[in-house]
Amino acid sequence: MVDRVRRALAKVTGQALGPYQSAVVRIGFAGTWLFFLLCEFPDRHRLYGPDGPWSWRLAERLVASNDAFTVLLWSGSAFWFELVYAVALLASALLVLGWRTRATSVVFMVGVLSLQNRSVFMGDGGDNVIHLMAVYLVLTRCAQVWSLDARRARRRGSASAGAAGPVLWGVLGAVLAYGAVTGRFGAGWLAAFAALWAGPALWWAADRHERSGAGRGEHERSGEADGEPAARRAGEGRAFLDVLANLLHNAGMLVIMAEVCLIYATAGWYKIQGSRWQDGTALYYPLRLDYFAPWPELSDVLAGSGVLVMLLSYGTVAVQVAFPFTLFNRRVKNVLLALMMLEHAGIAVLLGLPFFSMAMIAADAVFLPTAFLVWAGATVARTRLPGRLSPGPRTGPGPGPSPGPRTPRPRTPAGSEPVERDGGVGAGGAGS
Amino acid sequence: MDSNEHEPVEGAPPGPRKAPPARPGIAGLSAPYRVLAALALGAVAVAACTHLALVFLHVAPSNTVSKRNAALIDGWIYPEFEQNWKLFAPNPLQQNIAVEVRAQVRTGGGELVTSGWRDLSAEDGAAIRHNPLPSHTEQNELRRAWDFFTGSHDDNDKPTGERGALSEEYLRRIALERLAPVYRDGRILRVQLRSATRSVPAPGWSDEKTDTQTYYRELPWWTV
Repeated sequence: MVDRVRRALAKVTGQALGPYQSAVVRIGFAGTWLFFLLCEFPDRHRLYGPDGPWSWRLAERLVASNDAFTVLLWSGSAFWFELVYAVALLASALLVLGWRTRATSVVFMVGVLSLQNRSVFMGDGGDNVIHLMAVYLVLTRCAQVWSLDARRARRRGSASAGAAGPVLWGVLGAVLAYGAVTGRFGAGWLAAFAALWAGPALWWAADRHERSGAGRGEHERSGEADGEPAARRAGEGRAFLDVLANLLHNAGMLVIMAEVCLIYATAGWYKIQGSRWQDGTALYYPLRLDYFAPWPELSDVLAGSGVLVMLLSYGTVAVQVAFPFTLFNRRVKNVLLALMMLEHAGIAVLLGLPFFSMAMIAADAVFLPTAFLVWAGATVARTRLPGRLSPGPRTGPGPGPSPGPRTPRPRTPAGSEPVERDGGVGAGGAGS
Repeated sequence: MDSNEHEPVEGAPPGPRKAPPARPGIAGLSAPYRVLAALALGAVAVAACTHLALVFLHVAPSNTVSKRNAALIDGWIYPEFEQNWKLFAPNPLQQNIAVEVRAQVRTGGGELVTSGWRDLSAEDGAAIRHNPLPSHTEQNELRRAWDFFTGSHDDNDKPTGERGALSEEYLRRIALERLAPVYRDGRILRVQLRSATRSVPAPGWSDEKTDTQTYYRELPWWTV
């Protein structure tokens, strides 16, 4: 019993669990938002611009009453709007690639919240999921695999190598200072951003402290310290911060998984109470709504069969209600996961909700089995990106061994500079 | 993690002060840090569970606990954690609600004309048809603006709260945005909106009868 507790503690404090799952969630949501921003680029002014139908003044009045976070209300100028939209686009692209992820994930969240809260009546369920996950992703170490950070860690020994980290840290610090001085952040957000910004500095300080040997009373050895890999002397303070980061990551992943369960449970349990879901005709009605009929011919075919409509209606409810409970059985969970992803792919086409469906599939992906993700990653790497983002064995020489589903947990060549806390962790063996 | 985690993987001969074989996570820390880590573990666990409990109470139907703690729940959930997953539930929408608009225009020649009704939702529908990637401006803008209006007004079109005025202004701006290109050489003086609600006909394979007449809800004229 004590042993089991000890092992559990070692797990949640010693590892950032689900490296592949967190990476696929990061790529999924950042990719969906990137795709959305690109598709809406021609319509961006109507959606979020200062002179769109939901004008800057209207947004200002609404936000004054609900205190939603948006930097778009900092200024009503067209230039500011274009800048924020461009930064949101860029942050999404960089988050997909996993470049300086600790910083980019925060900028990504700011972009998502700023645009969505600026025009809250433009969104739908898809925007809602992206909104929540953008916040949760900030807590996670989601660039342990399939990222430029991981590649940098393999090639240069540290994910935080290079000057870009400190520069980014400085720029974001300046923006934070400006917002703080001009009183544009609420108290809660100011505290959150300050903590996110101070974190890497603390990290860096802990590294410096232990590198110089002060932490262990090794002053006499500090002379030769420069010649040795910095990571060797990384010690307690640094190890403590690592435990903290793991804790936050694991809590973030738990929240993401629970959120997905809440989504399905809510959707399912409320449907059970509806007469149309009970009599098995529910699915027919959305197919007949003009706002959700991009392919009327296709909708007609499906709506034409009473039996098919009933089976799909019942099936939808059954799967949604059942899903959270199937997490206790791997095999059943995987079958339902595949069914739900298929259903969302169907919704994307039939009801014309591609971004909602992509977001839901990205959320589902947090439950994909590690072996499948590793296989999928290797397949993609083989066919598309020979030797680039792949964490596989064909990458260039680097201190990190190549992770795989069966390889032992690699030792971590930890980063020793600010901004990047996602050291080049090759991969943990964990996963749901 | 512990100091041993940070050893370079290859090469470097072990130094004289090599740390003892380390245990991962909290167990590898010394006592003071272990206490700190335990406190952090407790705080993070409590925060995560509290957040999830509040989200659960927010999405669950109104119940004993959520009614008793409404202020706490709303205080945490709004605005950033607001969510609604009653997707097509408890029943899917079974009517097409179209928003139509007409305008009173002073033409370039000084004449005062009232236009016929123009079905803006039908135009959205046409833009969505055969489009694999419909824009939010076609799918959500007008549809949700009308929801916003009906949600913030009573049956006599009187605003029920401070959001009523916002929704009127929003609808008027949407109408003008779409009318403006048509009346370039005139001046739009007033606009009027109405909704046309038609129930989706019962499926052919069922013996249900549905009233598929169109019902209108006409708003007053608004001066531009």
